[in-house]
Amino acid sequence: MEAVKSAARLSDTSRERLHVLLNYALAILTFIGLAIMVVIRQQRALAFDEIWLRSSIIQRAFVTTVTVSFIALIGSLVLGLVFYFFSISRVRYLRAFTDVFTEVIYGTPLLVMIFMMGYVFRASFNIAGPETFGLVGLTIYITPYMTNIFRAAFSSIPEGQYQAMDLFGFTTFQRYRYIIIPQVIRALMAPLMNNFSLIIKGSALLHIVGTREIYYELFALSNTTGRNIETFFIMWLLYLMITLPLSRIIQFVEKRWST
Amino acid sequence: MNIDIQGLRHEYDVEVLKDLTITLKDVSSIALIGVSGSGKSTLLRLLSGIEKPTTGTVRVNGTNINERAYKERVGFVFQDHNLFPHLTLERNITLILEETRNIPKSEAKNIARQNLEALQLADQMHKLPKHVSGGQAQRASIARALALNPEVIFLDEPTASLDPILTHEVLMAVKKLRDLGKDFVFATHVISFVKDFADYVIFMEHGAIVEHGPPSIMDAPTTRAMRNYMDKVH
Ligand SMILES: Nc1ncnc2c1ncn2[C@@H]1O[C@H](COP(=O)(O)OP(=O)(O)O)[C@@H](O)[C@H]1O
Ligand SMILES: [Mg+2]
Repeated sequence: MEAVKSAARLSDTSRERLHVLLNYALAILTFIGLAIMVVIRQQRALAFDEIWLRSSIIQRAFVTTVTVSFIALIGSLVLGLVFYFFSISRVRYLRAFTDVFTEVIYGTPLLVMIFMMGYVFRASFNIAGPETFGLVGLTIYITPYMTNIFRAAFSSIPEGQYQAMDLFGFTTFQRYRYIIIPQVIRALMAPLMNNFSLIIKGSALLHIVGTREIYYELFALSNTTGRNIETFFIMWLLYLMITLPLSRIIQFVEKRWST
Repeated sequence: MNIDIQGLRHEYDVEVLKDLTITLKDVSSIALIGVSGSGKSTLLRLLSGIEKPTTGTVRVNGTNINERAYKERVGFVFQDHNLFPHLTLERNITLILEETRNIPKSEAKNIARQNLEALQLADQMHKLPKHVSGGQAQRASIARALALNPEVIFLDEPTASLDPILTHEVLMAVKKLRDLGKDFVFATHVISFVKDFADYVIFMEHGAIVEHGPPSIMDAPTTRAMRNYMDKVH
């Protein structure tokens, strides 16, 4: 009797899963259909041959976007964690510094930030090119958002768990390794995805400091080839090629690391 | 167990325990009663070594609670179980055995299993705390305390977050502690349980011990504070 019931439940869940899958397939088809319609309704036929000739440029741009986004991600994660520790530090100055920093960043549009770093700051501290300074601008811009998600993640662990860790005599290493980090990572993953999409979108603005990323190169291609419909289509797909797999990876890491 | 408390004070922003002195010999289960805010949880945290007292000395079975190894010899059951939410019931126990008691993996598994079975949780042990009932989680936290083979187990209102049926279930688990020959100190408002299972009762108010003695003192309180309290909980 139990076995029959659980078999029935099993087929229920697999049917449920099939439904979810079907609906996702339908939703994806809707978007592909929309894309096809847009293509068909164009005044002239699409031609990609000229663009294919320059596919190495596109590849390089793709790699550049991925690289700068990754650097900004890692950089802002590290800085965000540092500022989180500043914000809970006993040193008053560090807390004040974090507050002022956060206010300044929140009050600055990303475009202005990249401009300021890439041209103004770079002129005062002439140690690297505008591209590097622009990337630093992007990284710094994302940092307070990273601090926020660290704060939320760390405060998701209630006081009672620290008491339990005290009681059982965990070392600092054991606390972080087995209790704090697994839970922080779990709480971090979903908002991290949001921040990464902020970074990807932000990386397109790096063209103003001359970074040859996707937007920069594809925009240039649309001018040189005159094929702007095609190039913008490719541009869009390239960004999706980065963000869609990434959300999968994050889900995987979340499952893998949270125990 | 023997408990010897001399001039124990504890303060946060204000003084919450005021100069407690009491000596108890050969008692196996002590009940702490008193209204919320009277200092029961604080006293339990100090007795278990989770927090250090502001001043005063406490010896449990002859050992000063300030000694480093003392905490390893006690168990604690929190009001809200405080199981680690990302670990299964079993892992909640094996992690502590492996990491803080240096017990090999396979042996830790055995100990966890035995203790979870003793509390009727054999079929739940691979679940996360959020996937079992509040009563089961609380029993798992009793199993966790037991697994460390402590001399004394402290329980801080283990049933306060539970409905009456689950309360009964958890109190039966506490009774099991007695059957297993464990000594325990518990805070609770369930007076019938105190009458059945405590050897000794301590009534607290405003961070002080107002009355103490065998459970029969609850039938004839000598102070107004305790009389009021008994009227309220009955
Ligand atoms: N961590 C703490 N920080 C500050 N005050 C506290 C803390 N814990 C308890 N108190 C205070 O100490 C008093 C006694 O609390 P507690 O020991 O929890 O009493 P009970 O368990 O009897 O309800 C209360 O007034 C409470 O507000
Ligand atoms: Mg309490």
